[in-house]
Formats: sequence, structure tokens, C-alpha cells
Amino acid sequence: MAALEHPAAEQTPSGASSLRPGPEGVEQNIFTTSLDAMVSWGRSNSLWPFPFGTACCAIEFMALAASRYDIARFGAEFVRFSPRHSDMMIVAGTITYKQAPILRRIWEQMIEPRYVISVGACACSGGFYDCYCTVPGIDEIIPVDVYIAGCPPRPEAYLEAIMQLQAKIMDESYVKARAQRAHERIHIG
Amino acid sequence: MKVITPEGDKVELLTVNIGPSHPATHGALRNFVALDGETIVASVPEIGYLHRGFEKMVERGTYQQVLPYTDRLNYCSAILNNIGFCHAAETMFGVEIPERATTLRVLLGELSRVIDHLVCVGAALVDLGALTNYWYFFNPREDIYKIWEKLSGARLTNAFTRVGGLYRDTYPGFEDEVRAVLPVVENAIGEVLKLVEHNRIFLDRTRGVAAISAERAIAYGWTGPCLRATGVDRDLRKDEPYMGYDTYDFQTVVGSTGDTYDRLMVRMFEMLESISICRQALDRLRPGPVNTSDARLSLPGQDKAYHDMEALINHFKLVYEGVRPPAGEYYGATEAGNGELGFLIVSDGTGRPYRVKVRPPCFTQFSAYHEMVEGGLVADSVACLSSLNIVAGELDR
Amino acid sequence: MKPSAATPYHQAAEPATAEARAAFEKAAFAALAERFGATLDPLDQWGLTAVVDRSRIREVLQFLRDDPSFRMDTLLDSCGVDYLEYPGHDLPRFAVVYILKSMVAVSHRLRLKVWVEEDDAVVPSVHDLYASANWQERETWDQYGIVFEGHPNLKRLLNHADFEGHPLRKDYPAQRRQWLLANDPMIDQLEARLRVLGYEILESPAPTSPSLEETSFGRKK
Repeated sequence: MAALEHPAAEQTPSGASSLRPGPEGVEQNIFTTSLDAMVSWGRSNSLWPFPFGTACCAIEFMALAASRYDIARFGAEFVRFSPRHSDMMIVAGTITYKQAPILRRIWEQMIEPRYVISVGACACSGGFYDCYCTVPGIDEIIPVDVYIAGCPPRPEAYLEAIMQLQAKIMDESYVKARAQRAHERIHIG
Repeated sequence: MKVITPEGDKVELLTVNIGPSHPATHGALRNFVALDGETIVASVPEIGYLHRGFEKMVERGTYQQVLPYTDRLNYCSAILNNIGFCHAAETMFGVEIPERATTLRVLLGELSRVIDHLVCVGAALVDLGALTNYWYFFNPREDIYKIWEKLSGARLTNAFTRVGGLYRDTYPGFEDEVRAVLPVVENAIGEVLKLVEHNRIFLDRTRGVAAISAERAIAYGWTGPCLRATGVDRDLRKDEPYMGYDTYDFQTVVGSTGDTYDRLMVRMFEMLESISICRQALDRLRPGPVNTSDARLSLPGQDKAYHDMEALINHFKLVYEGVRPPAGEYYGATEAGNGELGFLIVSDGTGRPYRVKVRPPCFTQFSAYHEMVEGGLVADSVACLSSLNIVAGELDR
Repeated sequence: MKPSAATPYHQAAEPATAEARAAFEKAAFAALAERFGATLDPLDQWGLTAVVDRSRIREVLQFLRDDPSFRMDTLLDSCGVDYLEYPGHDLPRFAVVYILKSMVAVSHRLRLKVWVEEDDAVVPSVHDLYASANWQERETWDQYGIVFEGHPNLKRLLNHADFEGHPLRKDYPAQRRQWLLANDPMIDQLEARLRVLGYEILESPAPTSPSLEETSFGRKK
């Protein structure tokens, strides 16, 4: 990594030596890591959620975003309502057959890497609406990374799901996925 | 699309889908509009995206098993729906529930109305860009959730009432906690009012926006706060008093023009009235049973069920077959957060309801939506929608 | 905040009493029986449900709405009921129930019932008498398959456009699920609305359904 160029640090009269390039600053400012760990760290701590809220669970998502539970502590407070901006879809609520094609379409519009959290009994399995109009679990339509139980789940359960998703992302290998894509491209080409 | 306007001009209209997954739809609604610039020329709303078969499902369970489904109608104020269904079913039985149960229902119902309006007004202000108020309103809401949790074990979907009374009595210290939470809510309302009352942006965005006349509102079957915003002084709690509402001292809050501002302000001040009812209910809360002693409805006590043959059979029948109202049809209505919540119950004398039709207050209100937003701006349709407090669970059932 | 009182409902009403309600029910039923040959529905032991012939439902509703002594200005709900499995039922299979109340006089509440045969499930639409009936009739059509004659837009409301059958009928199995491929573009409804507002359509837009291109996802039938 190139030596840090920090004009503000240069001007500081004292205490700025740690930012100044030099043999003593290198030990304190430069570390080595794998690209995988670096990318996964970045991804897992800046998940931008897309709340696909349809029913009761969405009210608990509102509580999660409010100050008491404060999803911002996990770097996931930047709620985006555009699938192109977000990488974590939170499906909160019952998905009916009328809604199903829309859910699929929005999931397809999200850019990879994309993750899906299925919130509550309805999204996971249809819940107690075992009926002509409800999809018995959104995993019939889109792949799901984390399931949360509850009807509706508590905000703490949402946080737990986000932490589990973060752990899952930390296990992913950006390098391997990239190699896989390159491999597929060669074969298709 | 190319059209000729009624004035004879040739214009190009843009068609846009607002929803069904849109931040302003608060759930799953779709509004298909034709735009001339930013003005909505024509609007066709579509619903049903959260139709999850309430009416089919409840035909398969007993009367008590209907209650968890009613929770999920208007999930912002679950207890008010519980009360609505129980009240209708109890009228079919012709039973009076004990004094303490009635008072507790009034108290919990009014607290539910408060948290319903907190969500509605808070979310409406978010849609206008005023995010701060949302934080201010969700903190007292969390405080009330804590009481709900201790009472029923659930934060949102409480299912706290039963046909014939309540699930159980309150816990020690309940009254003090409710008394402590009421000033917190009042404080939050006061702070939000300070922020928006003289706020130029708020007034410009809401005053005169998406107004509806009293006559049109009545033709569309409106009830509740939205109808009162048009100046119609009708409230089921006053007009057809149930659960002893006629003995409480409170005012109906009435608007004048039926615009977005009136709808939000009616809700804001109704919360203060509800808090006043809560205080009165707390004052008259006396110890006593919370379930009727009518053997058709209530389980016998444990000592009786263990030592008395008839009580054991009764217990078995109530659990296995459920409560059995007389055969017939009844429509019962209560004032829920959004207006008249009615249940048409068709009973064939067995333990399962033959047919339950919910009369959701949102449904009739949303059916007038296209009339209100046509001719306005797209941004105004968002403000209008959030002030109507359309809850998809209740709208689509 | 109170406005100048234009109509009686702008003022608070005295609470409805049992006597006032009984008097109203007696008067309303007498008028309906005399003018329209209404009969009492024995199933309703708690209030007034008048059974009228379906050919006269529009007249009855117009009378109740406009008559100065009744003023039933609010159609709270109209819905279907399927009596297929109702014990001891020998009348036609379906009924349409109209739930009415008055905003002028708070003690005025009644229900109307119209019997409908299964093989001739047609009822005149009342959408022009009560604006709220528009969606209620669409819902009843959707759930029970009862046709409302004269309705301008009798389309499914709650279920999706590809749905077959009417789910609230007693013989529709609760778990018969039906997948949807693509949502209704609704362009015909928008054009109909524009025509009502006085616009003339020169060129229809291309369909912009939220899911129209989406027909390829793996589904289980």
C-alpha cells in the first residue's frame, strides 16, 4: 500500500506523527489482510435494507428503525426503497399470490450480492393463513438467507437475523465468486 | 398515452404505477395513475395485495380461535379489533361481562386507539418529510408495548380479550405503569404539535389538500376520524354507547373542511381525549372477576373441573367444541381506530362461525381515494393516503 | 373548530335508545312491507332484517335513502352469504345482505336481504345510489360469483385477475391455491376512468404492469 498522503496531518504541529509517512507510522497504520476479509467486512457492515413490508411485521420493522432498537448500530439503517440501491431485502409480512410476481421482480432488480431475510411466520411458511390466497413461504419464489420466527417477531429477532447474515457474509469469498464468474464467462464465450 | 382533454386540447399523458411496493403505500396498495406533468388526471386504485383469506379461515375454527385473526386486521390497534369481535359475539349470547372486564376493555381499547393514531400521524409526517416526529411518537409507543407484553405476552398482536371477558387479569403494578405512560404520550403529542402546528411546510402540504365534502364522504360510507374531519359529528361511542362509554366524559373531535390537515389534527386531538378516558377508567377500576360466570362461555375453575363431573364435561365441551351462540345472524359494530368496525356473524348454532363478514372502515374510505387525488399533485396523493390511515390487513382481510 | 351547521349530522346527536330503535324498526318494516312486500328474516333475532325481492332492491334502497323519515344515507356494507351447508336451509343458496345506517338519525339501522338462486345469481347493481357499493359489489362478485347487473367495472377486487372460481363459496376448498403469472396492467380501467372524466383516448399506452415481463419463475402447481 502506498504511503499515506494526508495534507491536514502534515500541517498539524504535534501528535500527527502517526499519520505522517515514516518508519514509526507504518507499524501503527498499515496492516495486512486478505481481500476476502476486507470485502466481506465492508459488505456486512453496510447492508442497505429494502423493506418489502406488507403486513404486521412491517410495523415491527418501523419499531426497529426507531430510536429504541436503532438498526443503525448494525450499519443497516440506510433504508432504501429502490431495489437498485439496496442489498438486503427484508420480506416482512404475508406474501399473497397477487403479490408474488412483484416480489420476484423486485428481487431480480437487486444487484448482487443480494441477501433476503424472511420475517415472520407468514413469509417463512404462510403462517396460520393456510389458505387459497397466501404463498406457503417465500422460498417458493426467491432464495432466502435467514428466516426469523415469530408472529410478528420482536425487533431483537430482526437484529439477531442481521447479525447472522453478517456472519454469513463474513464466510463468503469474494475472490472465489469472482473466479467462478470468470470461469463461467470463458465457458459461455 | 395521447388524449384529447374535455377542453379540446391534445395532450400526452404519462402512466405510472404508484405501488404495490412503494414507500408511501404503507403496505400493499397499487394506484395506477395518468399524469399530466405532475398533476394526476385519472387514478385507478387496486387492492387485494394482502388478501389473506380471513373470512375463509375463520369458518374453520371456533369463535375463540377467530381472535388471533382479528388481531391481524388492523394490526396497529389489535385490541380494538378483539373488542369488536367479542362485543358482537357476546351480544348474540346475550351475556353481560363483569364490571372489571368492561372497564379494562375501555382502558385497553383507548390505549390501542392512541397507539394506532401514533403510527398513523407519525407515518404521515414521515411522508411529508418530517422524520423527527416519528422518533417522538415511537418512543411512547414502545412504552405502551411494554405494558402489552406484560399483559398478553405479545407486543403487537395481543389477542387479549375472549368471548365472555378477558384472557386474564392484569399484573400487579399495571395501573401505576399505565398512569406513568399517559403523560409520556401527552408530552410527545405536545412536542409534535409544537413542531408542526405553525410549520409553514406542514400547513402548505396539508391544508386544502385532497379535501372531501361531508356528502361525498357519507355516500362512500365513511365513518370514524376521517368522516369527523369533514365536520360530521358522529362517533359510535357517543351515538350508540357500548361498554358504558356514555358514562365517560369526553368530546368528539370534529374538523371542518375534510382536508388532509383536518384528518391528521382530528387524530392528534382524539389521542388526548382517549388519554382522558383512560384516566377515568383507571379511577373506576375495582378488583373483581374478568370473565363472565356464564357456563356457556367461561371455563370452570381448576378446583371445580377436578372435582365436579358436570364442570369437567363443560370444560371438555368448551375446549373441544367451543362456545355455541344461538343460530341466527347479527351485525355488531364498535368504534375502532379508523371508524366503524363491524362484524356480521352468521351462526348455525354450532361451535364454529358459519360466516363472518368484517366491515372494515378502511375499505369504504379507500374506495373514495381516486376522487380525492384526481386533479392534485402526485406528492399530495401521498399526503392524502397516509392521512387516511389505510391499513392493508384490514382493507384486504 | 365546529363549522356552521348545514345538515343535522353536523351536530352531536343524542345517544340512540332501545325505544327509539324499536320504534324505527317497527315503522321501517311497516313501510317496507306495505310498499315493497318485505318480509321479516327469522334468522335475525337482534335487530331488523327485511327480506325483499331482488327486482325491487333498487327501489327499496332509493326509498330508504331519500324518504325524510328514514334517511338511510350510509351503505356500510353489502356482502354475500352462501347457505349451501346451513342446516335446514331450503331457500335459495345465496343471499346478498345490505347493511344500512343513517348519519342523520343515529338510531336508524337495518339490514336488507335478497335471496339469489345459484343458477341465476344476478342482482341489480346499486353503485349509482351509494358510491360505496361499487367496491362492495366487486368484492361480492369476486368472492361469491354473484353478478351485479349494471355495474360499470365488475372485476375481481381482492383476488388476482387469473383466479378461477369464487373462494368464499362453501364448495371451494380452502387450500386450492392458484398462482399468478403477471399482474393486471389495468390500462382498460384507467382508460374507462379517463372517459368518465371526459377525455377522448387517441392512443393507448404500452402496458406498464409492475410484473408484466415476469413470467419465468419456477412455480409448483
